[in-house]
Amino acid sequence: MRVWELCKRNLKETYRDPLGMGFLLGFPLVFMLLFGAIFSGDNTANFPIGVIDEDHTLLSQAFVNEALAKVSVLKVTRYDDIDTARKDLRFGELDAYIVIPPGFGQQVSQNWQGGKADITLEMTYDESNIQISEQLISIINAVARAFARIEIPLTINANPIHIETKITYVDFIGPGIIIFGLLILIPTAARTVVRDKEKGFLARLLTTPTRPVDFILGYSLYLVVITIAQIIIFMVIAWLLGMNIVGSLWLAFLIFFLTGLCSVGLGMVVASLSKTEQQAEPLCWLISMPLAMLSGCWFSIQMMPSYLRSFANAFPYAHAIDASRGVLIRGVGLEAINSDFLFLIGWTVAIFAIGIILFRRSMRS
Amino acid sequence: MVEQPKTGDDLAIQTFNLSRTFNGLVAVDGIELNIRKGELFALLGPNGAGKTTTINMLCCLLKPSKGTAQIMGYDILKQPYKVKEIIGVSPQETAISEHLNSQENINLIGKIHGTSSLELRIRSQQLLETMGLTGRVRDQVRKFSGGMKRRLNIVMALIHNPEILFLDEPTLGLDPQARRAIWEYIIQLKGKKTILLTTHYMDEADFLADRIGIIDEGKIVALGTSSELKANMRERNTMIVSAGNFTQKLVDEMRERYAEVSLNADTMLITDSQLDFREIVDHLQSAGAIVRSAHIKEPTLEDVFLHLTGKELRE
Repeated sequence: MRVWELCKRNLKETYRDPLGMGFLLGFPLVFMLLFGAIFSGDNTANFPIGVIDEDHTLLSQAFVNEALAKVSVLKVTRYDDIDTARKDLRFGELDAYIVIPPGFGQQVSQNWQGGKADITLEMTYDESNIQISEQLISIINAVARAFARIEIPLTINANPIHIETKITYVDFIGPGIIIFGLLILIPTAARTVVRDKEKGFLARLLTTPTRPVDFILGYSLYLVVITIAQIIIFMVIAWLLGMNIVGSLWLAFLIFFLTGLCSVGLGMVVASLSKTEQQAEPLCWLISMPLAMLSGCWFSIQMMPSYLRSFANAFPYAHAIDASRGVLIRGVGLEAINSDFLFLIGWTVAIFAIGIILFRRSMRS
Repeated sequence: MVEQPKTGDDLAIQTFNLSRTFNGLVAVDGIELNIRKGELFALLGPNGAGKTTTINMLCCLLKPSKGTAQIMGYDILKQPYKVKEIIGVSPQETAISEHLNSQENINLIGKIHGTSSLELRIRSQQLLETMGLTGRVRDQVRKFSGGMKRRLNIVMALIHNPEILFLDEPTLGLDPQARRAIWEYIIQLKGKKTILLTTHYMDEADFLADRIGIIDEGKIVALGTSSELKANMRERNTMIVSAGNFTQKLVDEMRERYAEVSLNADTMLITDSQLDFREIVDHLQSAGAIVRSAHIKEPTLEDVFLHLTGKELRE
């Protein structure tokens, strides 16, 4: 009852304030469109790779011509010998080259017929560009797996699952961008509460029988509405930009939603700790920027030192990116991401509990 | 409705050694107040005297560092939610939702208190009329003048029919006309509600309050009705005479007769416990002074405050 009244009041405050409304809905819009524009260049030649076919079978040629060459982000060049390819890699003409070993075709066909197979692909890449090689590995890995219907040792991937071969850069980076957008809900949530704190509106509510729980939930319910609106905008634009959604849309939405709730909870914690917007704002950025860097939305967290990786994994965002990439790109179901999923739920519950405790403490100082 | 606790007498607000320090700085220092039901009590003091801190403790927004208080018999420390149910607060900052209209603002507070829709409609209509706000019910509050916001602030504090009303600086920053208007509305509430009002305008306390507590540096330095407080000052009447031709001899002579005499250009100030207007004017004229005007100044609360604290009661 009180919760709903507070939520209603906050919604009215927002939709009657064009500027505030503009930020809440315009931000994800502009953000996603900008992201789209950045990656909308001709994504036919993002990664020049070389292929040395030492197998010379129909299957190895099919792998090059039908599988690798069809991936829009790869620009495939055939080489006759490794030395030339290595030279081009060194001069930056190539991002990587792949050697298809003799026997590749035979092994693949054995596998197709249900026999045991032992296939390897050898990939050499430019280590100076960590981000590109990371993505390249996962793309080649995906293509090879789709083609051979078996794990091909390039990198370690335990789940032989369906892979969309028309993988684009947008597909890969899209979930990370959405998670980053949801991180921005931390300052949004904090601002909503702290503004009322500063103007004394909060104090007025605290002279009524409103309980801390009513208060946190009343504001959170309003922020949940904002979160849902933002996720819809994010996902619709990502889809319009041509992001392939392979897995369940609902599952992806649920992951984004939980991530949004974690941000709202963190925002509430910040709001409980600060008295004015001037205190809250820097505190929000101090929290959200490192979290963004550690989430894997800009840099892959696999590249980080292990202590930093454990630290990153203590927060929900890296889990959210892993899980949403799994669902959106690899099409996995809940069973494959249940540990990430449970972590997100646990984090949401915990951060709200902390928020309520801190708020209760701050309300009677 | 909750059962009424035993109060023992007709007191609405009772404080016991109520104190609050902020990082070692004493804001409120052992206040003992007894405010009767239906009384309009004004806490008068300069900015920083501890008025808002006192109100915030009584509204359960701040915890006292020492002591406690009872509101209608409910302890502010042990039963804060009971207290919150029966009080209405009009805070110093006009804590209003700017993008909501006045009706929506009122409904929000009303519904939080669990007031029924029917009661809300009737009471808000009444209150908006009383406070002269019926004209612009549909307008968003951000378009209101300062005076209108202050009045809405009071309506919001009254919508759930509280037994006790706290008005923290209800006319702060308003022009004299708008202040006067709010006073008229507050006067209408007198006797119907217990009201605790804080102000640093002595004329406001003088005009509105049944009793006044003068607060300075966290302590109540004087307590009583306006005339009781001024009566203490009868010992110090001041006569102001504006005249030409004051001679030094005359001034010296006056200084011998009266307790305090000071001369500033053409104006002489004479202060003593007993002043005979006629006698003084006659005496001055016979001594050759040309008296243009003369009057005896009634002591104001300002004088009371100055006398008690040695400070001026100014913003």
